Amino acid sequence: MEFPYYPINDFGPAMKGMIIGGLGIFHVFLAQFAIGGGMLMCYFQWLSQTGREPAAREALDGYFKFLVLVSFVTGALTGVGMWFTAIQISPRTIGMMVEEFHWIWATEWTFFCLEIAAGYAYYRHGAGLSDPARMRLLVLYSVAAWFSLFWVNGILSWQLTPGGWAPGGNVWAGFFNPSFWPSLLYRTFASTSIAALVACVVVNAHPRLSLAQRDAVIHRAAHFLIPMVLMPFLGLWYLYTLPPDSRAWALGGSAAMTLFTGVAAGASLFVGLYALIGLNLQRLTINGATATLLLGLAFVATGGGEFVREGVRKPYTIRAALFSNSIKPDEIAELRRIGSVTRDPYPLRDAARYPNDQVRLGAKVFRFQCSVCHTLSGANGLVHLAGTWTPDQMRLNIAKLQQTKPFMPPFSGTADELEALVQMIAWAKAGSPSEWPSSNEIATIVQIDRWLQEAGISPGWYRERKQ
Amino acid sequence: MNAPFPFGFPLPTAFYLTLYVLTLVIHVLFVSYALAGTGYLAAVHFLPGHPSAPRHKGPAAQTLRDWMPLGLSGAITAGVAPLLFIQILYQRSFYTANLLLFHRWMAILPVLIAGFYLLYLLKSRRAAEGPAWRGGALALAAWLCFAFTGYSWTENHLLSLQPGAWPAFFGAGSYFFWTAALLPRLSLWAAGTIPVMALLVCWQLWLGGVGSPAEVRRLAALALLGLLLSALAAAGYGTLLPPGAREFASGGAGAPYLGLALIGWMFQAGIWLTFWSKPDLRPGLLAAASAGALLSVLGMTVLREGVRLASLPVERLYALHEQAARVGGLGVFLFFFVLNAALVGWCVVLARKGGAPEGAKPSPGKEEDFREALERR
Repeated sequence: MEFPYYPINDFGPAMKGMIIGGLGIFHVFLAQFAIGGGMLMCYFQWLSQTGREPAAREALDGYFKFLVLVSFVTGALTGVGMWFTAIQISPRTIGMMVEEFHWIWATEWTFFCLEIAAGYAYYRHGAGLSDPARMRLLVLYSVAAWFSLFWVNGILSWQLTPGGWAPGGNVWAGFFNPSFWPSLLYRTFASTSIAALVACVVVNAHPRLSLAQRDAVIHRAAHFLIPMVLMPFLGLWYLYTLPPDSRAWALGGSAAMTLFTGVAAGASLFVGLYALIGLNLQRLTINGATATLLLGLAFVATGGGEFVREGVRKPYTIRAALFSNSIKPDEIAELRRIGSVTRDPYPLRDAARYPNDQVRLGAKVFRFQCSVCHTLSGANGLVHLAGTWTPDQMRLNIAKLQQTKPFMPPFSGTADELEALVQMIAWAKAGSPSEWPSSNEIATIVQIDRWLQEAGISPGWYRERKQ
Repeated sequence: MNAPFPFGFPLPTAFYLTLYVLTLVIHVLFVSYALAGTGYLAAVHFLPGHPSAPRHKGPAAQTLRDWMPLGLSGAITAGVAPLLFIQILYQRSFYTANLLLFHRWMAILPVLIAGFYLLYLLKSRRAAEGPAWRGGALALAAWLCFAFTGYSWTENHLLSLQPGAWPAFFGAGSYFFWTAALLPRLSLWAAGTIPVMALLVCWQLWLGGVGSPAEVRRLAALALLGLLLSALAAAGYGTLLPPGAREFASGGAGAPYLGLALIGWMFQAGIWLTFWSKPDLRPGLLAAASAGALLSVLGMTVLREGVRLASLPVERLYALHEQAARVGGLGVFLFFFVLNAALVGWCVVLARKGGAPEGAKPSPGKEEDFREALERR
């Protein structure tokens, strides 16, 4: 077996999940704005050309400029940035996604090209075109944008619920996976909601619209918030399609996941209630500040939702195919036999700061197996999580990691590597002194080995289910 | 390997290599427009020439300024396809180079975003009507952003070709990779963007019917300079190539493409000389120059790939390519590729012939500004 080792970077006190999560949430928000924005502009164009809302045309052109400046530039580049960031965090994950779904991504790219072409054609010539031509360009733009979501949604939802897919198997079995449809519909309505809220902000700032015109256009835009009534049901449908363990993390099993589920649901509920009761039923006016606040809440809801979607995949990045630390389930047995970092060609950058070879080995094990989700003493730091445990507690808990915490993958190294990791954590907890004794008792290694064998190499949740 | 590229490779590898090269060629055309175009804009702002006909207010500069955001958007969009195929072809080396350069590499994202917004600022009325230094500073800053991105790609590419250097590079904690090939290679690509940009702008001037002889002559001189510099850089880079890469270029796999690149170069040089001596934009000559440019870019892109193929143990990747070729979805891609290409064409038709509504106001701040500016001249 040749394990593909990659250089692993250190993001300081930040968790890697914060890096990709932060960019991901920002990008998803912009992308959903672009998707819903396309539909909203079609609606505005229709209102304008049928004479139902004359001010809609002015609002549409202002909105479109904003969309171009935000979505075409930052949205497009953060999209590319997601690929590069995913490489930085987990090259094996993005590599596997590309291997399995490159034609889906290529198909999505053709829609992206259409989106750009239709968008720029409208941007440059829209003001001088006839209404039917404007409408056609806008429809092309919004259909292309929505189909981008369609294709990417299949890949992202496959990570969590691969359904009948197996590595190298039928790509469509993975694409149309159990959470595909609820996720697609949920994101579609999230998109229309974000687009409507952005419209409320942009229209309020439009210098050429009177107050009455602004009100009229905002109440038209608020129609795009009505589908939010379906979002709770879609959310429940989505939860229903999740594997039981993932669902459990979101509904009480993990404090962080449950908290973020609550944040996402609460923020969505608040926006939805204001939109439905205030804007659509009571026909209240909304000024720029309130609209911005609601848009901020929508961002929080998006962030919470994306955090949960990413988080409940644990202990995998691709369910049953790749653990979160980029080790495949069928590689664990071999890594336990030969050692997880024995063949890692990349040296420690800061080898001199460690007091002995055992701690250096522990640092390499930490880098390889833990650092994708943990820092040593920063965010989600091992010193904070395990530093108060006794050495034997650490040995037992790490050896039986998938049972200690079922959202953790099994430990994938030798007993010596595990002991080295324990020493490294203890040394860091002690303030990283320059002297540190090596622990080389045979009995300790034998005990760790026994615990590793007892734990086995299956994920904790599966083991629990079997029992 | 003596069969012309890509026929000496197993079918899946040849297939992905072909897709990669073709999509990269399209990307290079857009990149040329953005990189050399912003360079041109910076130069004409800082060297405006005679006050009665300042270069930065000439049709070429106006055209570039007006179309530059679309050009960059095209470069980014067209860059997605080769970025996809490179991950299938050379996943491990590409990813490793990304990881090794770390923050330095990731910096291209905010830099590109900044460059993109600078192009919109450059297009604004404030920049167009303000003092020349303001537009020049904006164009120069945008050019620096794109040049940095190009430099980063070159650095990334060269690092990806040297697996033996990876552990030590990582251990040293360095974020800059220096090798003797860096400058000539970068110069080759940067100089090569100039004639492509000049050609694209000439097409735009011809389509708009606004190309003045002085501008055409200037663009021709620039294109000739670019061709000359790219030839010098190619010669310098050639001397630094490892034996395997030289063998590729001179053997059956690469020599036909070297020939195409040279023929294309000579074709372009001849036509630009013609334009320089008789600055009259004739579509036949422009089409011939375009064919020459395409041949050169295609030839050089294949040779670039040859260098990589000679540097990496590509045989070990064949099984991965075969595995990738087995996954489904190609038919769906081809269907939507054709459909969406047709729809993109329809967008262009709609934009050009969509019919103006009665009493429609012209769109402010776009091509009308350009026409007004031309009329004022």
